[in-house]
Amino acid sequence: MKCTRCREPAEVKLRAHNSAFCRACFLFFFQRRVARAIEHERMFDTSSRVLVAVSGGKDSLALWEVLANDGYQTVGFHLALGIGAYSERSRARTEAFAAARGLELHVRALADESLSIPDVMGATRRPACAACGTIKRHYFDAAALEHGCDVIATGHNLDDEAARLLGNVLHWQTDHLARQKPVMQPRHEKFVRKVKPLYLTSEFETATYAFMRGIDYVVEECPNAVGATQLTYKSVLDRLEDVSPGTKAGFVRDFVARASDAFAPKPAEGAGDVAAIGTCGGCGMPSFGTLCSFCSLRAEVDRKLAKRSQTASAAPATEA
Amino acid sequence: MTGVARVSELLRRLDVLPGTVLVIRGDRLLTEDAALSADDEIELRSVVSGG
Repeated sequence: MKCTRCREPAEVKLRAHNSAFCRACFLFFFQRRVARAIEHERMFDTSSRVLVAVSGGKDSLALWEVLANDGYQTVGFHLALGIGAYSERSRARTEAFAAARGLELHVRALADESLSIPDVMGATRRPACAACGTIKRHYFDAAALEHGCDVIATGHNLDDEAARLLGNVLHWQTDHLARQKPVMQPRHEKFVRKVKPLYLTSEFETATYAFMRGIDYVVEECPNAVGATQLTYKSVLDRLEDVSPGTKAGFVRDFVARASDAFAPKPAEGAGDVAAIGTCGGCGMPSFGTLCSFCSLRAEVDRKLAKRSQTASAAPATEA
Repeated sequence: MTGVARVSELLRRLDVLPGTVLVIRGDRLLTEDAALSADDEIELRSVVSGG
């Protein structure tokens, strides 16, 4: 198999693009795809300060490498989730990546605030992934504010977006469909724009890029991802893609281009009404209620932990 | 695995879809049409991240 660009022996075939590439041409192709997504959706430019949310996985590290190589001003932010050895490895990979490239990285550890994901799972009935999402959004927003960033970039890739879109369509989650875009504009001055530069780049492509660039990323899955619905949707989409290459890209790209606006809330529905956004009594970040979602979760965890502590204190001492 | 001449056949035998794994031999990736020999050590690395 020969490279579509230069006719040297190919190292990777991309069926969705009806192309094959040698290593050098693939790296060029990948960087250009990401650059085009950033330009086409006006995500940011070289004058922007970009907070890159880095987990230690292939997508966020590949994204950070591309942005740094293309001359963007980046600030890496890693949230250590406290999920045992998995989180320790994730943090170690992220720190090693940043150190090797001389990139600015800030790390926040949930365990330091008694809010590790295992703490939260033990104290609430919320699904781990839902609670994790709420916590991440809070800390990403806070980090962007703290470090003077204009935009938050995450490593969500085409497969993530296609699976999410499929789930939202299957269950007609119209409010979620309204918010599924590669660029989310902030609804309050304390928030910044959120972008997904890899939204049309498949997991296979980011994994290939990371491998070719020698990026040492965490390969294993989050232990809490076992049985996740997202994985089922990805499996279904992989089968569709195998039969009809380009299905995932068409699904996401054409939703954004042709259907996304149909789900935007009407003005009468009051959604996006900036005047309705107040201030969270806990953290001072924007909130529709007295407490934001994060502080509500925080309060729930604190109540449970306090109750356990009282129960433990009240238990009669065991005689020797 | 014996009697497997190409990567595409290996994936088919293992019921693995081509776009879901990197096929690695040493420090290189292999395309589906790449030939395999009996003493090859091949890594199939999943690209799927979830949750």
